[in-house]
Amino acid sequence: MSVVFQLSGQRRFGTQLSVWLLMALAIVFGCQAAAAAPNPQDPPPVFVQAVADELLSVLKADPAVRKQDVSRINEIVQAYVMPYVNFEKTTRLSAGKHWRDATPEQRAALVEAFRSTLVRTYAGALSKIDNGTSMEVLTFRGDENAKDVVVRSSVVQGTNVQPIRIDYRLEKTPEGWRIYDLNVENIWLIQNYRGQFSQEINRSGIDGLIAALNKRNNQ
Amino acid sequence: MVNAHCASLKRLFLISIAVVLGGCASTQAPTDPADPWEGMNRGVYAFNDELDRGIFRPVAELYAFVTPRPVRTCIRNVYLNIGEIWSAFNSALQQRHFDAINTVGRFMFNTTMGLGGCIDVASMNGQPRIPNDFGITLGVWGVPQGPYLVLPIIGASSVRDGAGDVVNLVGNQLDTIGMIKNVPLRNSLWGLDFVVRREALLTVSKTVDSTALDPYSFIRDAYLQRREAQVLGDPDAQALPDYEDYEDVKADEKTLGIVPEKSP
Repeated sequence: MSVVFQLSGQRRFGTQLSVWLLMALAIVFGCQAAAAAPNPQDPPPVFVQAVADELLSVLKADPAVRKQDVSRINEIVQAYVMPYVNFEKTTRLSAGKHWRDATPEQRAALVEAFRSTLVRTYAGALSKIDNGTSMEVLTFRGDENAKDVVVRSSVVQGTNVQPIRIDYRLEKTPEGWRIYDLNVENIWLIQNYRGQFSQEINRSGIDGLIAALNKRNNQ
Repeated sequence: MVNAHCASLKRLFLISIAVVLGGCASTQAPTDPADPWEGMNRGVYAFNDELDRGIFRPVAELYAFVTPRPVRTCIRNVYLNIGEIWSAFNSALQQRHFDAINTVGRFMFNTTMGLGGCIDVASMNGQPRIPNDFGITLGVWGVPQGPYLVLPIIGASSVRDGAGDVVNLVGNQLDTIGMIKNVPLRNSLWGLDFVVRREALLTVSKTVDSTALDPYSFIRDAYLQRREAQVLGDPDAQALPDYEDYEDVKADEKTLGIVPEKSP
């Protein structure tokens, strides 16, 4: 059986024993995964793994997250996600050609409204994170010298549940790598919002889109 | 009792016809080339949504409420495990032989070590499930997706996937649970399958409800994207979405002295 699994080239996850050993070590040394702070200058897979590890350890240690306390989740996202994300680009690409018609104020308001929407979208999923949750970056097959790369990962949630595939799209900036798009189970975030954004803008303009996003955020 | 039942079914049927026709008659211009039947689709979507909120969702929530999570996971895994044979067959039809072998391996491993599929030991050992069906097979064989189609009760589909679902029904249901001769047992298993599938999607529908600007196009765009990716298979072979970036357009136009076009 294991021969078949290895044939597929899938990365094998650690055995139960090594997991227990690691957990025991963690308890002995009384430390949360003492990973170094993410460095955007690292190769993309290393950087993404570091971002995820840091975020997961913060989320696991915070009881407010489990209660879906959106304002606390917002703070965590602001501190541990936004520094590594080019969210302006995410919003700009989602808005497509309408972006050039937007004033700087509208752009800023749209970025903020969209960010709040996504925090709410993922608040439910983040609240389910427990000690069984981990994210493994899969073998990187892209070109590390490219300006635009994809890092694939598998998120394990508990023992008897299907792992979730999450891919990250990053671009190289002078400050290092920045994540700007996300693929969950074959669905790209930006691609999935482009249609709705353009539909809403065509119907009620950029201000209408901002208002529609904020209306849902305040519910 | 029986008459009342029939009457309510008849009413449901009439409502569904009315909704579909009403949808057809709406003059909404389709905005997405992949969805030329948007008016009709939105009608069926609204009908499905009513039905879901009225019956399916409450039943799934009740099931989630009375059944502990490990038991639900186990039951869901057993149903998924039965479906592996059909997935493997489709992987083989698509010449994805590694997928086919791995899926058969998963089935054997999970059926034995995983106690009839209850525990997904294969996933824990690094071989996740590779879902597959005949709609994907048709896509791999070169059949285009065709217009997006919302089917009553089933939901998001397309002309190709709808045709694929007919074959899926024969291949995946009639050859497994459908072989059970005891009619009440067979129908109960089918009913449970439906509830289990719906329950697995409860969190998704909650998210769509609370965050989508327009749930209809949110689901449509997600569905079409995901099916396209499944037909293409290997994620490393897939082209990344090519978004047009309008970041520098304004600056360029200014330097060139061109006035940007105004939106109406």
